[in-house]
Amino acid sequence: MALTHEEVRAIAHLARLQLTDEEVERFAGQLSDVLDYAARLNEVDTSEISPTASVLPMNAPLRPDEVRPCPPRDQLLANAPDPAGGMFRVPRVLELEP
Amino acid sequence: MPEYEAVIGLETHIQLNTKSKIFCACSTDSWRAPPNTHICPICTGLPGVLPSLNRRVVEKALIMAAAMNVGEIAPESYLARKNYFYPDLPKGYQISQYDEPLAGNGSFEFPMPDGNLRRISIIKLHIEEDAGKTVYKNSKRLIDFNRCGVPLVEMVTGPDFRSAEEVGQFLIRLRQLLRWLEISDADMERGQLRCDANVSIRERGQQRLNTKTEIKNVNSIANVRDAVQSEIQRQVREVEAGRKIESWTLGWDDDRGALSKMRSKETEADYRYFREPDLLPIQTSSEDWAATVSQLPELPLARRSRFSADYGIPDYDAGVLTEERSLSEFFEAAVAAHGGDPKRVSNWVMNDVLRLIREQDTSAGELGLRPDELAEIIRLVERGTISNSVGKELLTQVQGSDRTPSQIVEEDGLAQVTDFGELSAAAAQILEANPDQVAAYRGGKSGLIGWFVGQMMQESGGQADPKSARKILEQLLEG
Repeated sequence: MALTHEEVRAIAHLARLQLTDEEVERFAGQLSDVLDYAARLNEVDTSEISPTASVLPMNAPLRPDEVRPCPPRDQLLANAPDPAGGMFRVPRVLELEP
Repeated sequence: MPEYEAVIGLETHIQLNTKSKIFCACSTDSWRAPPNTHICPICTGLPGVLPSLNRRVVEKALIMAAAMNVGEIAPESYLARKNYFYPDLPKGYQISQYDEPLAGNGSFEFPMPDGNLRRISIIKLHIEEDAGKTVYKNSKRLIDFNRCGVPLVEMVTGPDFRSAEEVGQFLIRLRQLLRWLEISDADMERGQLRCDANVSIRERGQQRLNTKTEIKNVNSIANVRDAVQSEIQRQVREVEAGRKIESWTLGWDDDRGALSKMRSKETEADYRYFREPDLLPIQTSSEDWAATVSQLPELPLARRSRFSADYGIPDYDAGVLTEERSLSEFFEAAVAAHGGDPKRVSNWVMNDVLRLIREQDTSAGELGLRPDELAEIIRLVERGTISNSVGKELLTQVQGSDRTPSQIVEEDGLAQVTDFGELSAAAAQILEANPDQVAAYRGGKSGLIGWFVGQMMQESGGQADPKSARKILEQLLEG
């Protein structure tokens, strides 16, 4: 299952990664190998087997609806590259936003 | 010009009113809270954290599904990661549900103003987490994550609406229902109830669906109605002019009261959904589901029909009395305590109790006036012990008082004066003090009798029985 360069660029764009042409070439090959490896599962007849999301006992433990105090804001903002007014400052991401 | 009909489907987001967030113990109550004060490593997606699902979120979503007439619940449903890149989404994915949602195949029936019922199909209903908020300040883009992880129910309707009016009524009745069930405060201005609308048109009689546009970010029911209406009209104009409808995303501009084109579909993401590996499936046993269904309270529409059928009150009354759950319960308890004509109780509740509720910005449940106290006041008026106006004043006097209405009437001397001698003496005084009016009356202006009765009522502080007062005054004036 060979991925095209276009597909690799589309995937990179979704993850906001910038790839050089050389990287696109290399990752196309690597990603195709990964998909081919996984595709070996297609050889197994799974028509009688229900999908497995987890091998753990299949019941989500539920948490009681109780509020606990949050950590101090400064601590959470400590790793932000550019905090302002108690908020996380971010660069522009959409072409039409104000 | 051919006749067109609109085809509209809604995607609603309902904020569940749990205390804590869906996957962590941060408070959900962040209206007016300083930014980023209700966040933790889990809802901001720091590495190495593990989400854990809030039991009340599942319970409330199941109540919602039961109220939407969902017949069977998925015995096992899965949470999924919806991946997209946006700064208010700190994990880079939203935990939502995708191919195996909590519930599907429901319907919601609601009354239109003309009395007809509309039934809208519910295609699916699932739980998910909310994202944060981008604040634009001095050309800076700032992110407040307080809302991240607040629990939502997403509910998708079929393309069943045929007018903006139907959409508006649906939202009004959905909001009523959510508050009735106490699963959401459903305040649209606070984003607790959100609605995106998919709108297309076709020639009446056709079955196929045409290209639709999507309306987003509308923050009130009136605006949703206006936005849908103006989009239907725009599409008709386009089609009439021989142009094609393009699948735009339109945003509502509150300042202009108009729709405008939003970001292009270039950003229409490939969400790459996959099952959330950090959370196990949600299992709902048939016993849990049966219990949810059986514990569902009587819903507004059913209660409305029952009120008109059982109590013989007009449908209009039944509609007003079932606007809100505690009001409907108040009415029913007052009817039981009164034991007489339910229409009389309905009049008191609709006029006087509702006025108090509005003036004091409260609800029937928190009014501080018990249904049996209202019933007692009505009986005191019916027996003629107190006048109608004293009865109305009693409503506020009983609020929060330890005394019963009868005690207040007795101890404060509020009973109606029907004593002939007492009323005659008062009438004679009024005649003596107003010789001009007496002369005018006797000269033929018999309409002045109302003015004289008014004077009597005023002098007696509303306690004179107006019928007796009128009779006595007439006798004295004629005599």
